[in-house]
Parts: sequence; structure tokens; C-alpha cells
Amino acid sequence: MIENSFNRRDFLKVLGWGGATVALSGCGNTSVEDGREYVTSYVETADYIIPSIGTYFNSTCAQCDAGCGIMGRVREGRVLKLEGNPDSPINSGKMCGLGQAGVQAHYNPDRVREPLLRNGDKGEAITWEKALQLVSEKVASANPGSVAFLTGGVSGHVKVLLKNYLDAIGSDQHYVYEAVAPSVVRAANKKAYGVEMPRLRLDRAKVVVSFGADFLGTWVSPVHFSRQYAKFRKGVNGERGVLVQVESKMTITGANADRWLAIRPGTEGILALGLVNALSAAGLTVPAEVAAAVKDYTLDRVSNDTGVSVEHIGKLTALLKDRSPSLVIAGGAAEGYAHGSQNAAAVALLNQVLGNVGKTVEAPASMPFPQMAPITGNRSSLQALNDSIAQDGVKVLFNCGANPIYSAPASMNMKESLKKVPFKVAFAHYMDETAMEADLVLPLNSSMEGWGTVVPEYFAEGAQLNIQQPLMEKLHPGTLGMGDVLLALLKQRRPAEYSGYEDYYAYLKNAMVAIKGALGGENEDDDVFWDSVLSQGVVKLTSSSNALVSSASAAGLQLPPPAVEDGTYPLRLIPAVTPNMRDGRHANEPWLQESPDPLTTIVWDSWVEMHPKTAAKLGVVEGDIVEVASKNGAIKGQVYVYSGIHPDVISVPLGYGHEAMGRYSKGVGANAFKILDPVFDQQTGELAMYETRVKVTKAGKRVIVVKDEGPAGGNQSGRRIALRMASGKVNLAEEV
Amino acid sequence: MGKDIREDIAWAQINKDVLKSLENPKKLYWVILLIAIAMVGVAVGCEIYQYQTGMGVSNKSNSHVWSLYIATFIFWIGMSHSGTLLSAILHLMHADWRKPIYRFAEAMTTFSLMTAGLFVLVHLGRLWMVYYVMPYPNERWVWPNFQSPLVWDMFAIATYLSSSVIFLYVGMIPDLAICRDNIHAGWRKKLYTVLSLGWEGTDRQWRNFRITYLTIACFLIPLAVSVHSIVASDFAMSNMPGWHVTSFPPYFVAGALYSGCAAIITLFVILRYVFKFEEYMTLPIMRKLVRLTFAIAMVWTYLNLIEFSSVWYGHDQTAKDQLIFKATGPYAPYFWAMIFFGSILPLLLAFKRFQTHLPLLFVVSIFLNVGMWLERWMIIGPSFAHGHYPWTWDHDQWPSLVQWGIVFGSFGWFTLLFMVFCKVFPSVSMYEVKEMVYHRTLALKNKPAVKGEH
Amino acid sequence: MSITNLLQNWSDFRQQHPSDERPHQEYKWAMSIDLDLCTGCNACSVACYAENNLPAVGKEKFSHGHSHHWLRIERYWHNEDREYADQGAQFLPMMCQQCEAAPCETVCPVGATNHTADGLNSQVYNRCVGSRYCNANCPYKARYFNWYDYPTTADVWPAPMEQQLNPDVTVRGKGVMEKCTFCVQRLTVAKSNARTEGRSVHDGEVQTACQQACPTGAISFGNLIDPESRVAKQWEKQQVKLNHDKQAKDAVHDGDKLRGYRILENLRTYPSVMYLEQLREGAI
Ligand SMILES: Nc1nc2c(c(=O)[nH]1)N[C@H]1C(S)=C(S)[C@@H](COP(=O)(O)OP(=O)(O)OC[C@H]3O[C@@H](n4cnc5c(=O)[nH]c(N)nc54)[C@H](O)[C@@H]3O)O[C@H]1N2
Ligand SMILES: Nc1nc2c(c(=O)[nH]1)N[C@H]1C(S)=C(S)[C@@H](COP(=O)(O)OP(=O)(O)OC[C@H]3O[C@@H](n4cnc5c(=O)[nH]c(N)nc54)[C@H](O)[C@@H]3O)O[C@H]1N2
Ligand code: SF4
Ligand code: SF4
Ligand code: SF4
Ligand code: SF4
Ligand code: SF4
Repeated sequence: MIENSFNRRDFLKVLGWGGATVALSGCGNTSVEDGREYVTSYVETADYIIPSIGTYFNSTCAQCDAGCGIMGRVREGRVLKLEGNPDSPINSGKMCGLGQAGVQAHYNPDRVREPLLRNGDKGEAITWEKALQLVSEKVASANPGSVAFLTGGVSGHVKVLLKNYLDAIGSDQHYVYEAVAPSVVRAANKKAYGVEMPRLRLDRAKVVVSFGADFLGTWVSPVHFSRQYAKFRKGVNGERGVLVQVESKMTITGANADRWLAIRPGTEGILALGLVNALSAAGLTVPAEVAAAVKDYTLDRVSNDTGVSVEHIGKLTALLKDRSPSLVIAGGAAEGYAHGSQNAAAVALLNQVLGNVGKTVEAPASMPFPQMAPITGNRSSLQALNDSIAQDGVKVLFNCGANPIYSAPASMNMKESLKKVPFKVAFAHYMDETAMEADLVLPLNSSMEGWGTVVPEYFAEGAQLNIQQPLMEKLHPGTLGMGDVLLALLKQRRPAEYSGYEDYYAYLKNAMVAIKGALGGENEDDDVFWDSVLSQGVVKLTSSSNALVSSASAAGLQLPPPAVEDGTYPLRLIPAVTPNMRDGRHANEPWLQESPDPLTTIVWDSWVEMHPKTAAKLGVVEGDIVEVASKNGAIKGQVYVYSGIHPDVISVPLGYGHEAMGRYSKGVGANAFKILDPVFDQQTGELAMYETRVKVTKAGKRVIVVKDEGPAGGNQSGRRIALRMASGKVNLAEEV
Repeated sequence: MGKDIREDIAWAQINKDVLKSLENPKKLYWVILLIAIAMVGVAVGCEIYQYQTGMGVSNKSNSHVWSLYIATFIFWIGMSHSGTLLSAILHLMHADWRKPIYRFAEAMTTFSLMTAGLFVLVHLGRLWMVYYVMPYPNERWVWPNFQSPLVWDMFAIATYLSSSVIFLYVGMIPDLAICRDNIHAGWRKKLYTVLSLGWEGTDRQWRNFRITYLTIACFLIPLAVSVHSIVASDFAMSNMPGWHVTSFPPYFVAGALYSGCAAIITLFVILRYVFKFEEYMTLPIMRKLVRLTFAIAMVWTYLNLIEFSSVWYGHDQTAKDQLIFKATGPYAPYFWAMIFFGSILPLLLAFKRFQTHLPLLFVVSIFLNVGMWLERWMIIGPSFAHGHYPWTWDHDQWPSLVQWGIVFGSFGWFTLLFMVFCKVFPSVSMYEVKEMVYHRTLALKNKPAVKGEH
Repeated sequence: MSITNLLQNWSDFRQQHPSDERPHQEYKWAMSIDLDLCTGCNACSVACYAENNLPAVGKEKFSHGHSHHWLRIERYWHNEDREYADQGAQFLPMMCQQCEAAPCETVCPVGATNHTADGLNSQVYNRCVGSRYCNANCPYKARYFNWYDYPTTADVWPAPMEQQLNPDVTVRGKGVMEKCTFCVQRLTVAKSNARTEGRSVHDGEVQTACQQACPTGAISFGNLIDPESRVAKQWEKQQVKLNHDKQAKDAVHDGDKLRGYRILENLRTYPSVMYLEQLREGAI
């Protein structure tokens, strides 16, 4: 595919802020009236600032962990729009909607603007000096081991400082929690391939079979996978790649599949083994041990167990056999069960049997600076924190980038649990549910105001280090960067080591210059090196690849038969991760609320999605308010009926139903995290997200579902609008 | 059939009877006037709210951008046609029976137009910029888009309104002189003196008067036909299924005449009752009016059938879908009500005994107009809900109370204008009734054996 | 001011019709959208919000059909009577098609929407009186009306959110119509830069915001006059001619080897957006 290379940089150099005091007179931010000294007049501004012409600064998207490179368009001191950095191998100039909404996180009217100290039910504004003093006292008075950090996924120099701080106070309690993360798949991959997340080459695959991995919408690095998907669809020599998606509730990836196979929930592994068996029967060379292990997975049995027709299993087998290399991926849907690890292992086995390892499953680059490599979060880490609190092991808790009160299942009782911690500090952008419970709230800079380095979780090519730099001056004088706070805390403990750094910027520059050799700048002057790093936004690191294991083995595979129906709670709940909301941390950005959900086109609310058959059985139609009750609680929602879901399941999107956070998110929809059953993956102890069983009952009135789709309901009514044809009729190689 | 008017009414009696209608309004008059003012108040309140807040309060949507305002606009434009029909067309055709009733019909024309015009303003998203629609010399050399039917609309309505006012006024001059001569004090005297332009009833004045009146009548007829054809073009010239219909102009004109005639019947009954105009607004005249109305109703029905069948047998599937949608979708009750009120109910008018049954005619005529209003609503509502593009179809765009308030108020506005007119100007043409009486006596003298009409 | 000027002014409204003798001189902006690549992710739509100062109107107003997505992603199903939508959905980005014979233009009483020399359907906010006739006549329903005064509406751009607004794009007040402009502010900058350097805008030099965001590269945009532009090549290859309302290839039996088509072409709007049909594999 030919790409329009974006050449704005030819005439507008992409820049990096050269100094720590970024001072530009923006509209309303910096003015003499504010009592600020360093207004820069346009008479004497930097030579790259031309009034009315945008300037681009490279940075890194902080909306999810994929770490896409971005270019912020800045004019008259304000960041206006985020565009993808064409030089970032992850997203090569592209961005997702969530990423675009980053500016709304930055300009959000509900941001916390100054440190708040709890006074009864209220937060009282205090100065940073006082806040840091208080932290110092509390930490000093606590037993060193009883100071804990709860964070979301972290990487880069902040991670280094965090580690140093914990070392400095003598604690090893760092918990990393992500409510939605492919933890089980990572563990299963580690076993199967020897690495947690191999590099997936969709662009090389002729067939992709995804067991519920929503790689186009929400999974791991969606923009990167979308780029790959485009290449995969165009195919090698015009042979268009075929996508088959196996899942119980359609994701946007499923909606793009050539065949979407609705599978009985939890039987993904059975289908994978069935395919191994069928492939072996069809003549594919399969290790004897594997063939023996799967011989019971006959076509009929597999079809019976999974609900996938014999015809489709047959066709899929033929497809996989004929078109190699293929790629089989296990994602959220497959891993979300008590036997999630088994499912994922079965899927990995299928990949290995197909001989994809080494072809479409590659070894990922390894991070040469492990201290900066990302720590990925999961739920069991939160459980560990909970246990520690229960044993009185936490006296001071710092929380940054995690909102467990909102996103942990009700069964974990996080709110009560956190109450037992005498002093809780929340680093916050918004007063979210967890910040509301804190004793001290420390307002953070937005990702467009602060300095940082980010190491993406998933490397598209080689290892890389992303730069985060301010795209404009701070909106609120009372906020600080996480790095700055950690540095200040470190100065309290290890003044000798850190007092040389005026601020985090100084530390960062110093740290980066110190490793400039490894960053490809060994012969450069420090400042030249630093400037080029800032203007590139992405530093490519020389790294080696991890080794991949590629021996297929069925040892230890134990797949349970399909679950039997629970009489009281007859349906399964799929808590859906949607491209707009993900885990709900960005719910307060109105573009995301107003951006219609791709599948249902619903806006500004959550919904209860079900198959027409299920709806008929329950006697409900679109718009009926129903109660979805599990053993752990109940939520209400509007019914949306469509045939992209298995009749045995219903689905409610995650991310809605905030009780705090801000005007755009509070009270919008219902929080599905709250009713999840505490069922765990047997091998990793991760929450089995898809194991919750629910009953659905009508709860009164009917509403008009607010959505973009009109009453025609996705039917073109005979008009020739969105057309489709059989791929065999087209020669893509001939197309431009 | 009885005679249209008694031949033995004294001319002085005519003056007396008609001038009496200008005198001391009864209490009921004031009550109704106040109600009308209150209705206008509601509309003004709604409009101020809409102006301040934005068109959104009317509850239209991006796929359904027009609604009651335009429907009611067409309704009032339609209403205006009967006055012209009675005064101009029938005048040229020497249909004498029009004489006692054309004056108020013409007043109706003028006031309906004045009401219709307001809807154009109310409908605009930026009312304050309405003058952009007019071609006026400006520094930027910017002109309106002469291709747009809305610009033709602006011209047509403005011309029609001004011509109607002139026609009404010119036709009233001899009567205004009678008023001047019979009323001796107060503001009325001054008003009539000024307005009657020194009418003395000299031969020369009558000659000039007749030529002027005839000329304006001739001018007005094509105008009346064109104005509603142009309103029809707003729709016919667009590409919206359900609108893009060649037969719309005659269809609109027929509908206009239809609703106008029905309104004349309503007002006929009211004026005859209130002003005790039994001698002038006689039952034989009513019978003729009713027959005319019936004929127009059938023409309208015929044109409806033409439209439906041309859509049905045509190749435009989209338009056909649209028609099916109208007849079976959420708008079906209104659609069928329109058919019932517009085509079935008027069948009653074919029966002789109902043709002079005033209470029944009063009720029926109002329902005919309900039907005609529904016709306009059926052009707007369902078409927007089911156009070319299925993704944006909508069924739930029910007009808000703001819209209803303004539509409701427009009836108050019309009533207000009409009631004030009735008390300030003679609502029956005295000089023409005299002519009619005179013609009749002449006819009786010349042909004593002939019965019935002159 | 004269009658000549009046007539000149009037005829200027329609001078760019493709069948006129005066074709586009230097630029004819056009798009092509590959529906086989569009995943329905909405990135383009959000980018358009960011670039063009579109208000997020909130649930209540959205429910009344007052949304402002100049670029909406439509989602169609092809699963009539089947148990599952098992061939997925079909996503279709729909924005103003920049019709060459735009039905919206002819009906606007004040000429607030008309054709530019670059073949764009322009929208002049200051001139618009808000009659909404253009929307009534747009077959694609791609026009969005300012039902409220969003700049002063609570929670649309509460401080400091207004600082995100793009100064190159007017913030529209109540009562005016708006729609996708093909990011005309970007085109203007590109043209101006090119003019300064005495050349034409070359392919890829300017991107629309939606095109720029689209992760799969489903949207291409460029100058149809420039035979070297990707868009021109795509149109050429797909045998879609701008000034035809029936494409010759559709008459040929073999025509279905080409995916290019324009929506509601039969209405003779001559859209500037060509879509490429979605594909589905028969082997599964
Ligand atoms: N080529 C060309 N020439 C023109 C015009 C045109 O359109 N094109 N327009 C004409 C018109 S209408 C005008 S008004 C004039 C304007 O002519 P100038 O007054 O020269 O206007 P600018 O070039 O906009 O601004 C002048 C300088 O003021 C600086 N400046 C900005 N803010 C401040 C501040 O707070 N304090 C101080 N001290 N300096 C500040 C800017 O950086 C800039 O260098 O130009 C006229 N000349
Ligand atoms: N971003 C930014 N905005 C600014 C300024 C800035 O420096 N930066 N400067 C501000 C200042 S100081 C000013 S004065 C304004 C100027 O703002 P505008 O008055 O909008 O200035 P122009 O764009 O120069 O001219 C307007 C139009 O007049 C047309 N025109 C030229 N000659 C004639 C003529 O003889 N007759 C007619 N009818 N039209 C003609 C031109 O083609 C142009 O389309 O902009 C203000 N806005
Ligand atoms: S995928 Fe994640 S990092 Fe990339 S643009 Fe989207 S939100 Fe930002
Ligand atoms: S798509 Fe609609 S708004 Fe755009 S040019 Fe065509 S008719 Fe006009
Ligand atoms: S809404 Fe504006 S642009 Fe559209 S027709 Fe009316 S005046 Fe013209
Ligand atoms: S071209 Fe620009 S204005 Fe049009 S839809 Fe794309 S981003 Fe929006
Ligand atoms: S960004 Fe691209 S893939 Fe996503 S919806 Fe828009 S056109 Fe489709």
C-alpha cells in the first residue's frame, strides 16, 4: 500500500522544547495579570514561533499503554490537536479516537488543580510544600516496609525513580494494577513461546484466526495492529488476507471478520484443539504426542460443544491448511475463564502446529534497559495489596494511575479495604472514585504538560524509548509532574544523590545524556543529542531479540467440558471492553462519550446487549430497562438487541457508571465491574472476567435508546449505499 | 333553488344593515378578541424563547429540518387563495353570487398571507439575517441565489400580499365613502375620510374605479396561481422522495382553493349569525359556495390519486417506499385522517339537504381544513422521516410545544386581524350588493316569467 | 452594481458544474474510501471533532438528532434472516460528498453554500440565514445545523476547554448550517505555501484530518486534476468518472471486478467521494 507521506515537516520543523521553563504567551494562560514574570512577547519570541502558524512538537500518547508517538500542533501557546508521529514505528502517523481525545484530558474542566487535604468530607486546598512535608512526616512515622505504591502500568524514568524511592524508604510494596489487561494470555504465551508477548505479524499472515482478541479496537496496540491489518487485507501479491474471529460477543475486530463465529462461551480452547485434530486428519504434520492428545476432539463433538457448525470448522480447517502462514491469536474472550490459561494454551498450540512460530509469530525486541521496561499490571497484584492491607501491612498508600474503587469487582470490597489504610495519597488528574477516598490528593500535570519517558509495552519493530514533553505551558499552576513529585520525595530521603537536580526535567536530561551512547548519540554534543531526541520524540534502541520457543506440546492441557447452565443465573455476562471507554479512565472526555460505539452506535450511556433469541425469551425489546443481577450485585441498563452475540450471553460495556470523576462521566451508564463474580483463572489467579453468571429481569419502563443508528437499524432498505462483493472477484494487486 | 338575494331590499337598508356591523361590539366580541390576543401572546412568548435559545427548542433534527412551521406556512398560503378566487376569478366570470361574500374572503386572503409570512420568519435559524434573501444593493455585490425557490417564494408572497392589500382596498373605496358619509365623529370619520380618497361616486370615478379594479383582478389571478405553484416548487424542485412530484403545483393550488373555500364557509356561517346578515349571506349563495367547494374537493382528490398512482406505477422505488411509509408507518393515522377529511367527508356536500344545513356545514368546513392542514403536514413530516438515506431516518421527531404554541398562536393572530377588520371595515360589499339587487330587479322587470337566478 | 454584475454573480454560482465548459483549473479535491479497510474505529470522526471545532452536544441533544459529527460512521448489517451477523458489519464513513452538482447549492436562497473553484461545496457561515433548505435537499443528509448556540451552551466548551479550539476554523454560532469542508483550512494553507513557491500542491502534501488519523489508511484524499495523485490514479483504475452519473464499467458484465462506486450516483449529484466496495472471502 502506498502511503501519503506526511510532509508538513518539510516546511515546519518539528521541534522540542529546549528549556525547562516553557514560556509562551498563550491565550489566557500566561499573562501579566496572572502575576507571571515570564511573558514572552511576540516581538521577541523564539524564531520558530510564527503567529498564526502551527508548530509541531513530538511526544507520546498517554491515553493507553500502546505508546503511540504523537505530534502536538501548537499555536500561540496552546496545543490544539494531536496527530500521529510518522516516525513512530508503532503508529506511523496514525492515531485512534481515544488518543485524539487526549487534548480533552488536558483541557478538561474537571481536573484537580491544587493539592487537597482531607478535612472531614471536604478537600482543603494546601500548598505543595505543605503537602510534601506531610508526606514526609507520614512516611517517616510509618514502618518503612508499610509504605506502598499502587500504580497502573509504568515504565521509563518514572519507574526508575519510583523504584529508587521505594528502595530509599525500604519498602518493596509496589502493586501494579490494570483492570483490563491480557495477563492470562501473557502467562500462557510465556509458557508456549518463552515470551509474554511475541511480535505478531499480521502483515505476513494469509489467514488470521483471532479467538476474541480485539486487536483492531482495544487489544494491546490497536493502532499498530490496524496498520498491520491494512497490509494484511491488501495481501501479498494481491491475495487478500482472511480474518476469522471466534468469540461470544462481537468486537469491532469481529465485525470486520470475513467470518464471525459465535462460540459458546468458554469453549474457545475446545475449538482450537478440534482444529488441531481436524488439521492432523487433513494431513498436516502434527507431533504424535499432540495428535494423540487431541484425538478425542472430533468434528461432531467440537461442533456440539462449541456451537460452531461442522461446516465452518471444516472450511476453517481447509483454509488454515491451504493458506500458510497463518496467525492464531488468543485474546480477552478466550482468557476470561477459570480455564482461561488452558484456552490460551490451546490456541498457542494451534499456532505452533500450524508452523506459524518464526513466521508470523516473531521474537519481540528486548529492552536493553530493563529498569525502564514497563511493568504490566494485572488484577492479582491488587489482590496482593488487599491482602497486605488486611494484615495491617500498609500504613501509607500512594496511588497513581489506578482506580480500584471503581474498577475492582465488588467482591474485593476495595472501598472498605482502603479505609483501613491510615494515610492514603492519590496522585490524580480527576477526583475519581479512588481519589475521593484519599487523605491527600496531589494534582498531576496532564501528559501534555509534563516531561517523561515511556517504553511501550509492545514493540512494533525494535526496542524504543518514547519522549513525553510538554506541548504547552501548564494550565494550572498548582499541578506537578509525577517525576517532579518523586524527585521531591527522593530529595527528602536521599538529598545527597538528588539535590543536584533542580527538577525532573534536569534529572531526565541528565539521565538521557548519560546513556546517549546506547541511544545512538555517542558522538554528539550533549545539547545537540538532547535536542534531536526531543524533536524526534522516539528514540530507537539497539537491542537484541528474545528467543522464541517453538516446540508444540499438549502436555498439561486440560480443557473442561462446556459449562452447565446455572438455573438461577442462566446467562453469562461479558463485560465488554469498547474502543471508546476501555476501562473507564477516560470516561470524562466528551468526544469519547459522544463518539458512537462502533457496533451499537449508542452514545452517552451503557447498554445491555443481547441476541434477538435471548430478548424474545426474556420478553424484552430495545430500550427496555432491565436489571442484570449476579451473585455480587445488580445493575440496570437499556436493552440493545442485535445478532452479534451468542444467545447464552449478554454483554454490558465497561467504563461507564462512574460515581465521581467529572461532569461528563458521573452518573452516565452503569458500572459492570461491580457485579463481576470472583472467579479466577486457575493458573494465574487472574480474575476470570467472563465467568460471571447473571439473570436478567425487566425493571420497568422503556426508554428510547440514544444512538446514531436510526429506526432502519443498519438496514440499507434496498438503497445502494454500503456495497460488498466476494473477494475472489477482485484482483487487489491491480489496484492502486 | 331560491334566489341569491331579495330584490326588494332598500339601498338605505343595505347601508344600515352593513354599517350596523361596525357598531358597538358585544361583550362576546371582546372576550374572543382577548382570547385571540392571548393566543398571539403564547406564540410571541414561544418565538422569543426560540429566538434566544436556538431553533433546537422546536425539536427538529438534522435529518428532519423542517416541521410544523413550514406545514402551517403552506396551510396559510393555501387559505389565502379563496379570496382571490371569489373576488377576482368569479368577478371576471360575472358570477354575481360572489358579491355579498367576497369582501371578507378577500380580507381572509390578506390576513392569511400576513400569517403565512410570519412562519417564514419564525422558521429561519437566523431571523435577524432575513434581509439577505432580498436583492438589495450592497457593497459586497452579493445577491440572493435566484435559482432557489425560496427566493421566488419571497418575491411571490411579497407581490401577492401587496397586490391583495391593494385589491382589497381598491374594492372597498366606494364603501369607505359610504362609511364616511354615515359616520359623523371620532377617529373613524377621519380614517374613512382619508381612505375613501374623496370618492363622490361621479361617473368618471366609477369608470376609473371599474377599470382599476378589473386590471388588478386580472393581475391577481396569475399571481394567485403562481404563488402556490411556487410554494409547490419548494418541494417539487427538490430531490426529496415524496416531494419531487411534477403534479405538485396544480395539486397545491387545488388544495389551496379547497381550504380557502372551506374557510369561507366557516366564516360565512359565523358572520351570518353574528351580524345577522341573513338577507345578504343567503342560503342559495351558500349552496353555490358548497357546490364549488365540493367540486374542488373532487379535483383535489383526483390530483391526489394522480400523485399516488404516478408514484406507484413509476420507477422511483424510493418515492414508492416513501408513499408506503406514509400509509403504513407511524404517520399512517394522520395520513388516513387526511384522506378521510379531504376526500370522504366532503362527499356529504354532494347531498342537497346538507348544502344549506349551516350547523353541519360549520362543523364539516372546519374538518375539511383540519384535513388540509394534515395534507401539508403529510408533505413535511413523513418525507423527512423516510428520505433517500436510510441511516438518518427518524420516527420520533414530534414537534415540541414551542412549535405547537406558535402554530396555535397563528390562529389567534388571524382571528385578531379578522375581528378588527370586521369592526373597522364593512365585511359585506355594500355597493356590490346594491348592484346585485339592482340587477335582480332589472331581470325581474324584463323577464317576469323566468324563475330562479337573474 | 449593475444588472450585468447581478447576472454575472448569479451565473457564477453554477459555473463549476462538471459538464460546463469551464472545468476546474488547478485543483479538484476528491477522496476515495476503501470500505474493505475501514474498521469502523471512529478515529476519523474524533479527528474531525478536534480539527473542526465540532461541539459534543451531550446525550439530551444527541437524542433529539442534534449531533454534529460531520463524519459519521454508519454500520450496516448484511445478515437478513440469519441467526448471526456472521459476516460482520459494514462500516461506512459518511461525510459531505462535495457533490459537483450539489443539490444543496441550488436551493440555498442566499447562496451561502456554493461551489468553489477547487470543486468544493463551500459553506459560508456568515451568509447563512438558517433556512435549512440545503439540508432538506441533501440526499446524504450530511449537513448539520446549529440548533443551539454551542459556544455559550453549558458544558460544550467550559473553560479551559475552549482553548483547544482551532483558530483556523470558525466557531459557529446558532442558526447556521455546517458540514464537512474537506478541511478547507488545511487546503488553504497548502495552496498558499505552494503559490509562494510557484508550484502546485503536490500529492500527499496536504491531508484531511480524518485521512491523517485513519489507522488503516482507508481514506485517500488529493487532487483529481493531478494525474500523479493517488486519488486520481484510484479513480482512473476504478473507472469512475467524475462527470458521469452512470459509469461505463457498470454496463459491462465484467464490471464487478472493479470496486469503485459512488453513493446515490443515479441522483446526478456527481459526488467527489468514491467508495471501494468491502470484500468478503468466500472460502469461509
Ligand atoms: N502585507 C500586509 N501588510 C499590512 C496588512 C496586511 O494585511 N498585509 N495589514 C495592514 C493593517 S490592517 C495593519 S493593522 C497593520 C498591522 O501592522 P503591525 O502593527 O506591524 O502588525 P503585526 O505584524 O501583526 O504585529 C507587529 C508586531 O507586534 C508584536 N507583538 C505582539 N504582541 C505584542 C505585545 O504584547 N507587545 C509588543 N510590544 N509587541 C507585540 C508581534 O510579534 C509583531 O512583531 O499592517 C498593515 N499592513
Ligand atoms: N489571525 C489574525 N487575525 C487578524 C489580524 C492578525 O494579525 N492576525 N489582524 C486584525 C486586523 S488589524 C485587521 S484590520 C483585520 C482585517 O480583516 P479583514 O477586513 O477581513 O481583512 P482582509 O482579509 O485583508 O480583507 C477582507 C476582504 O476584502 C476583500 N477586498 C479587497 N479589496 C476590496 C474592495 O475594494 N472591495 C471589496 N468589497 N472587497 C475588497 C479581500 O479580497 C478580502 O476578501 O484582521 C484582524 N484579524
Ligand atoms: S492506541 Fe493508545 S497510545 Fe495509541 S493513539 Fe490510541 S490511545 Fe494513544
Ligand atoms: S453531500 Fe449534501 S451537503 Fe455535500 S455537496 Fe452533496 S448535497 Fe451538498
Ligand atoms: S441553511 Fe443556510 S446554507 Fe442552508 S439553505 Fe439555508 S441559508 Fe443556505
Ligand atoms: S475532510 Fe475534514 S471536515 Fe471533512 S470529514 Fe474529514 S476531517 Fe471532517
Ligand atoms: S478512521 Fe479509518 S478505519 Fe477508522 S472508521 Fe474512520 S475510515 Fe474507518
